[in-house]
Amino acid sequence: MTATPRKLSMKQRYAALTRDLDWDLSYVDPAEAFPYTTFEGITVHDWSQWEDPFRLTIDAYTKYQAEKDKRLYAVLDSFAQSQGHLQLADPRYLNAMKLFLQGVTPLEYAAHRNFAFLARFLNGPGPRFAALCQCEDEIRHAQTEIHTLSNYNKYYGGMHNWHAQHDRVWYLSVPKSYFDDALSAGPFEFLIAIGFSFEYLLTNLLFVPFMSGASFNGDLPTMTFGFSAQSDESRHMTLGLEAIKFLLEQDAGNVPIIQDWIDKWFWRGYRVTSLVAQMLDYMLPRKVMSWKEAFELYFEQQMLGGLFPDLSYYGIKPPRHVSQAMAEKDVLSHQVYWTLYQFSFAAAFTTTIPDEEHLDWLSAQYPDTFDRYYRPLWDKARRVVDSGGRFFYQGLPQLCQVCQIPMLFSEPGDPAMLCQRHSVYRGERYDFCSDGCQWIFDREPEKYVQAWLPVHQIYQGDCGGPTVPDVLAWYGLAEGDSGEYEGSVEQADWKRWHASPAERS
Amino acid sequence: MAVRAVGDYDFPSRSRQELYGDDQLVHLWWRNNMWFCAAACFRAPKAMTWGDFRAGMVDPLFSCDPDFGPRTRFEWSVDDQPVTRADSQTLAELGVGHKSLIACRSLG
Repeated sequence: MTATPRKLSMKQRYAALTRDLDWDLSYVDPAEAFPYTTFEGITVHDWSQWEDPFRLTIDAYTKYQAEKDKRLYAVLDSFAQSQGHLQLADPRYLNAMKLFLQGVTPLEYAAHRNFAFLARFLNGPGPRFAALCQCEDEIRHAQTEIHTLSNYNKYYGGMHNWHAQHDRVWYLSVPKSYFDDALSAGPFEFLIAIGFSFEYLLTNLLFVPFMSGASFNGDLPTMTFGFSAQSDESRHMTLGLEAIKFLLEQDAGNVPIIQDWIDKWFWRGYRVTSLVAQMLDYMLPRKVMSWKEAFELYFEQQMLGGLFPDLSYYGIKPPRHVSQAMAEKDVLSHQVYWTLYQFSFAAAFTTTIPDEEHLDWLSAQYPDTFDRYYRPLWDKARRVVDSGGRFFYQGLPQLCQVCQIPMLFSEPGDPAMLCQRHSVYRGERYDFCSDGCQWIFDREPEKYVQAWLPVHQIYQGDCGGPTVPDVLAWYGLAEGDSGEYEGSVEQADWKRWHASPAERS
Repeated sequence: MAVRAVGDYDFPSRSRQELYGDDQLVHLWWRNNMWFCAAACFRAPKAMTWGDFRAGMVDPLFSCDPDFGPRTRFEWSVDDQPVTRADSQTLAELGVGHKSLIACRSLG
């Protein structure tokens, strides 16, 4: 007679497979084994207070993820076999996905690296295991995004060299430097920067617009990827919230340090979302919602209205400079796309003047600003095209030392006047696009003086050579990747693929 | 406040003037014109004359605006100090330093 095998409850399994695998160090000094969790000034009294809301174990985790992968790859296969790319609303839609692949996918990869670091170097087994799962998620997202978008790479420009471009191209230094800033911080600042500010505070503003854009514009693979990542993202949100609450509850001395990090990382992340703002308002042929609506829903209502009242219990206030972000919602996307329009000769996507219907939509969405400030610019750009030209900026722009975006943002309250700020540190002048970026520089100037600013690097001769064609070759831009959409390789291909047999002959 | 770090933390600026030899970075901003999305950044010799800067850098950029022409009149400043330009003066003599902001406002 054999004994019935004992079946553990979920809670017991979680304990057995995660925290019970931990042990107390006896012949190595804990300070030597975990050398990075004291220098930031954060105090943790009891690591066992970390609550894992999911009680996830590695066997359950791999089983769920394998099922999701199977579903995604089945969709990708059928999409490839049925020439699914021809069902897109319009090939211009893919400019949003080029930006996603070049700008966001490498951040998933970078995130996996730092969560692997946390999975080794946080003292408590609970947060270490949570970091391990998130590390696995992030590498899986990087891989599945690459595989999803590789379907388009066969037929469209701008997707063949995203990885090198992330390290080189001027507008991609914006997300890259943002993430490098977090990677080079300590483990607790990283948790607040990425775990909380990026994955909780701003995640809906970053991911939902891309995935909804895919759904509205006939991009079934990216939509399926979005669903596949969604359950991971909601777990990351919960973990980000758990991380901040854990740190706030551990010691009252942690509160001002964390407030400072929220202030910094809100503004850093918000500046990265400017790329999303222009994507929603200009790059999507079929609109989802305006940037202004997305900002009001996902940030003002959900975060300022929902999250921060809860955090005030711990003494946490809404981020510094948040009122400036709110004031920008009527101007942000227009300023950013106007910049991309005049610099797209050096980008791995195309731009074009919005058509009349699109301009009318923008007027309706932005009644206080569009007709007064931005429509006249597009009308003038149209006159240039009608007379046989195309406006491209003949030069390189001044960049913000912190966010690395060209200094295109306006003075708070005056859309017609650019914002110019500067600080002097050790006798050298540094320029900033906003009070937020200047404040971030002034608290850690030693860090930001090292910024690899694309324009300055070009002038130092570090980017392939002195001329624009030299730099574009160093960026790995090929024929058809860049510039104006009207008359582009992509437009010609699309017309040819959709021509009737009569038109073809 | 200083960076909190595990070790010594002291690195030089990656944009310091000495990396540009006898040149320096200068910024050019047409204040009251939204056509240009941002101020421009140029690498210019310190000894470049104002006249050469106008002809070689300012005019080619400003010519991207179809409303710009030889008759457009400007008032100029360097780092918010008004300058009366003299075509034969060098940028250094006009007070232009590394990453200075040369700004103009078109008149009329």
